[in-house]
Amino acid sequence: MFQFIIRRTVGALVTLILIGAATFFLFVAAPSDYASLACGKDCSPARLEDIRQALGLNLPIHQQFWDFMSGIVMGRDFPTGHCSAPCLGQSFYSGDMVWSTIMDRFPTTLTLTAGGAVVFVIVGVGAGMIAAYKRGTMVDKVATGVSMVLSSFQIYVLGPIVLLIFVYSTGWMDNPAYHPITENPWKWFTGLLLPVLVMATIFTAQYTRMARSSMIEQLAEEHVRTARAKGMSNKYVFFRYAWRGSMIPIVTVLGIDISAMLGGAVVTELTFSLQGIGRLAVDGAVHKDLPLTMGVMLFGAFFILIVNILTDIAYAYIDPRVRLS
Amino acid sequence: MKPISSRRARAIVVALAAGSLALTACSKNEGGDSGADSKKDQKEASVQSKAVTYADAAGSTGPAEAVPGAKTGGTINVYQEAGLSHLDPGQIYVSDAGQVANLLFRRLTQFKEDGKGGVSVVGDLATDSGKSSDGGKTWTFTLKDGVKDQNGNAITSADIRHTVERQYAKFIFDGPTYLQTWLSGADYRKALPNGGFDGKHLPDSVLATPDAKTVVFHFDTARPDLPQTLAMAGYAVVPEKTDTKEKYDKAPVATGPYKIASNKVGKELVLTKNTNWDPKTDSVRHQYADSFDLQFGITESTQTKRLIADQGADKNAIQLTGGVESTQIQDVIGNAAVSKRTVKGYQPYVMQLTFNLDRVKDIKVRQAITYAVNSKSLIAGEGGAYGGDVAPNYFAPTLPGYEATYDPYGRLKTPQGNIAKAKEILKDVPAAEKKVVFAYSNSEAGQKRKVAIEDALTKVGFNVVSKEVDSASYYEQIGKLNNPYDLYITGWGQDWPSAGTVITPIYDGTQVADGSSNYSHVKDPKVDALIKKALSEDPTAAAATWKEAQHYLLEKVIPAAPLWYTKQFQLSGSNIGGARYGSVSSLIDINRLFVKS
Repeated sequence: MFQFIIRRTVGALVTLILIGAATFFLFVAAPSDYASLACGKDCSPARLEDIRQALGLNLPIHQQFWDFMSGIVMGRDFPTGHCSAPCLGQSFYSGDMVWSTIMDRFPTTLTLTAGGAVVFVIVGVGAGMIAAYKRGTMVDKVATGVSMVLSSFQIYVLGPIVLLIFVYSTGWMDNPAYHPITENPWKWFTGLLLPVLVMATIFTAQYTRMARSSMIEQLAEEHVRTARAKGMSNKYVFFRYAWRGSMIPIVTVLGIDISAMLGGAVVTELTFSLQGIGRLAVDGAVHKDLPLTMGVMLFGAFFILIVNILTDIAYAYIDPRVRLS
Repeated sequence: MKPISSRRARAIVVALAAGSLALTACSKNEGGDSGADSKKDQKEASVQSKAVTYADAAGSTGPAEAVPGAKTGGTINVYQEAGLSHLDPGQIYVSDAGQVANLLFRRLTQFKEDGKGGVSVVGDLATDSGKSSDGGKTWTFTLKDGVKDQNGNAITSADIRHTVERQYAKFIFDGPTYLQTWLSGADYRKALPNGGFDGKHLPDSVLATPDAKTVVFHFDTARPDLPQTLAMAGYAVVPEKTDTKEKYDKAPVATGPYKIASNKVGKELVLTKNTNWDPKTDSVRHQYADSFDLQFGITESTQTKRLIADQGADKNAIQLTGGVESTQIQDVIGNAAVSKRTVKGYQPYVMQLTFNLDRVKDIKVRQAITYAVNSKSLIAGEGGAYGGDVAPNYFAPTLPGYEATYDPYGRLKTPQGNIAKAKEILKDVPAAEKKVVFAYSNSEAGQKRKVAIEDALTKVGFNVVSKEVDSASYYEQIGKLNNPYDLYITGWGQDWPSAGTVITPIYDGTQVADGSSNYSHVKDPKVDALIKKALSEDPTAAAATWKEAQHYLLEKVIPAAPLWYTKQFQLSGSNIGGARYGSVSSLIDINRLFVKS
């Protein structure tokens, strides 16, 4: 296990460096940069050069890349002050340190992700398991039918409808907003309740169907048939034998979904006017803000890699046949 | 002379693009009875275009006239889509930061509105709007007593000197450059490379501060507009002792009625009362609300929905620079209760179809296109009557000197374009000159405009080749001297109510260069002479010269076909009092607002 973690960590670092390089060089290959955007319409060559100098864009590209990547581990100095490690640079647009901006926005994304995951794993997987257990009955048909309908919804459709009903028309709930849990736990809970539920609804439908089909597949396996033949009860067979095997594909997709959400649930954040990592990524692209874009990309990639490692570890626990190597 | 202030138009691009991004099929939203609304708007427009007066000490003395029914207390929520790129006054040029600057910062002079269209320049930090001598080449300002920054430090002439000189430093690159170039020429940074931070200063022959209360500007030519220039947010005072250079952008020191309590860039900016602001020294601003809570990242569509719904915290909310989203205009104007909570008026921007005179050399081609363009179709794409009005000439209704009926191409009579007249003009024009390359921005608004332009010109017999340009770098691309385009839509708005900030930047032949705002590359000796003459005259005489320049340009040169005037239409919550359209800002007048209960 230890060797596995070391090996995967080293691999993750190499991957992050490659992602950083790819993002950086694609960005600088674009025909215009932040300096020309900031320079405005009365841009003169001298003015443009002043801006590029102020932003460090006049340095050779490889120097800029090295400064950025080395700053992650060693920190960097800017005219506005020192940026401690992990330093993801200084935003061209806002002038803020990218790391502090990301940390400011991350709790919103984390709350959305964690809250959504809890709901759709418990409800979605639970409903799918029950549907598989009660296959062919009315319970199964209702669960399947509802999940089919809900999985055809999109956040940008369901979100505005929910806002219209619960916020704009009735005033039952306030406009969604993030409040730190340390300030007011109740406001923290209710502030993001609507977006969490909307997001969870979409995912729940998918996980219901996935859990149901995965469980049905497991119930047809030979070892489950053998267990039944040996006289074990349905409930015992279901929870002791079939359940674990059915979790492998669910864990795989869960890992992908969580890492994607941690990188920024852009559509949810835009729909509910939330300021999370997703909005930050969009802002970075719109403003041609290289440090912000690099920072968000690396931050998102970091979580994808971490969650992948955790997913692989989870496989080993779920399925004893899987050996970490 | 090189006034460089074209980033106002970037604000147009940002503002219009942000609004236009939310446009969908707009056929239902014609803005109600367009005809009746337009006539009323034009009547109001003539009010907005009254000449600016310069006030004396009496007009500059505080406190500001009380807003009827005003109460103190409460928090005003302010919704905005994009965050503010700068809070350092020296870097402020665009309207969103400018609105916030009205609450935070004071400057030598300020605009004051009487609500009936009358606009005057009053002394803000200064006792009056300034005294000129030496034929307008010298301007003297005396500072008021008792004006302090948020830390309780008195503002002195040394702070004014510092405010001006720091603009010469390289880290200030986004703000206005009028004053610097008037004082030190086009290469002003060479006159003071370190912005005064190294102890070196501008000579007294340029900027003098003989005592702690007096500031004297010396120019090589008359500058009658100086009081208006100094009213720009970009020239708000930066106290010398508290200047942290690049860091100032995050934590500027306030001199206005509010100061920054917290600032999360792009997310939330909270302003609270500045207890060191003395209303007796301020004839413009108020301090009714306890705080302003600016929340960013809220799209114009969501802002409109929230304010129409008017629930909870939205009752205390306003829009900063956004407006009613065009697809929801009918929801607003069709509901009397909601409609009462709107403010509207003309913005200073005129949208034009600019010709690249280096390529479109035949004046008959330019004439024909000017007759042919369909303003009605273009305006429909902007939200109908609430989004814009047909522009018959180059001067916006907010500009002193605006002539509502000056319409040499009959655009008011035939806003859909006069195809017959255009065809007649083009009769003898060779076919080779009827092929035109039209550049358009690849935004949603740009796509709609492309369709309208292609449709109109094709009807006349032009072969239109449309080229898409990345919206983020649109102005950079069309601003290149050797760009490969014949036509492009541009917009321009005055920096202050003077035609000098319209004609000069976009038609001055001495400013034809890469990145210049003279997108048509006009180099006409008569235009240059008229510009030079007008810039040295007092406002009354200058008005006649600007009028002559406009007429000459539009009739004899035709560097652009005027298309439409832009309008602003904003909504506020039901608990907001004092809401009134500000002619100078073209936005809700943020200085007058209060929370009703």
